[in-house]
Amino acid sequence: MATVVLLAFVAGMLVTLSRQINGRLAAATSALTSSFWNHAVGLGVLVAYTLVAGRFWPEGAAAAPWYAWAGGIAGVVFVAGGSWVIHRLGAALTSGLLVAGQMLSGVMMDLIRGTEGSGPMRFAGVALILLGVWMSRRGGSRRE
Amino acid sequence: MTQRKRPAPAPEEGRAPRPVEICAALATGGLLTFMLFSNSTMAAYTTPLFSSLVAHGVGTVAAAVALVLIGALWRPGASSKGVRAPLWAYLGGVSGALTVMLTSMTANSPLALTGTLALGLVGQVVLALVFDRFGVMGLRRMPTRNDLMSLGLIVAGTLLIIFSRG
Repeated sequence: MATVVLLAFVAGMLVTLSRQINGRLAAATSALTSSFWNHAVGLGVLVAYTLVAGRFWPEGAAAAPWYAWAGGIAGVVFVAGGSWVIHRLGAALTSGLLVAGQMLSGVMMDLIRGTEGSGPMRFAGVALILLGVWMSRRGGSRRE
Repeated sequence: MTQRKRPAPAPEEGRAPRPVEICAALATGGLLTFMLFSNSTMAAYTTPLFSSLVAHGVGTVAAAVALVLIGALWRPGASSKGVRAPLWAYLGGVSGALTVMLTSMTANSPLALTGTLALGLVGQVVLALVFDRFGVMGLRRMPTRNDLMSLGLIVAGTLLIIFSRG
């Protein structure tokens, strides 16, 4: 159990790491260029891994609906957007606001699809996130 | 004196975010909901690995097409930024690909998706704070007390929502 906890934690850290690296590339090129390289290099790694341990056309691929193929298009904008924002807001606030956007839209989707879950907890969560986003506007002076 | 072109204003310490920056971040985060929906659908039909392979393949093509279109329509001389990126700056995708492999392992463990998301969120924010604090990789922004409170609220709200799904 301790191992999977660590792995899940590391997976989160890798998200931040990749955003930081892409942000650095965007500083020298552009947000879209950094998104291109992020996807191309990631593709290279995944192709290599698939050659060793996977299949390039698994069963069921042909049956998948169209929107199962479209995630990568949103991914391009997602990485480019992250590279753009991280320069302006720093890694921590970028991370927080991206997660906020994800959760708020996720709850909207849950409501539309009627996903089961605790209503009051969900409502409290949305309220806290909105408050956090509202507070982020202030920036505030550095205290040390 | 020629003015050096900078891609973005240097991250200042504690500058208040502009509303457009906050909205851009929220909208960008919103895309993740669609990405997760799309990629998890593909993973359900096939495997997590194939789903990630498709997302990266489609993404590579889409980004290349967008770059060509932008290059053809609009020539701002963006390539003349003058600063060359170090080689490691091209390796963000390695980290992204590893993330997929790790999360597909942990989502199928006793942690399930809920635990994977919650721990991932914490790992993400902790490392981001360390990066900001020490100015790793040329990006630096000292987190202010207000930033920390804002982050704390967002993380707490997110954890509530994640666990509300049970």
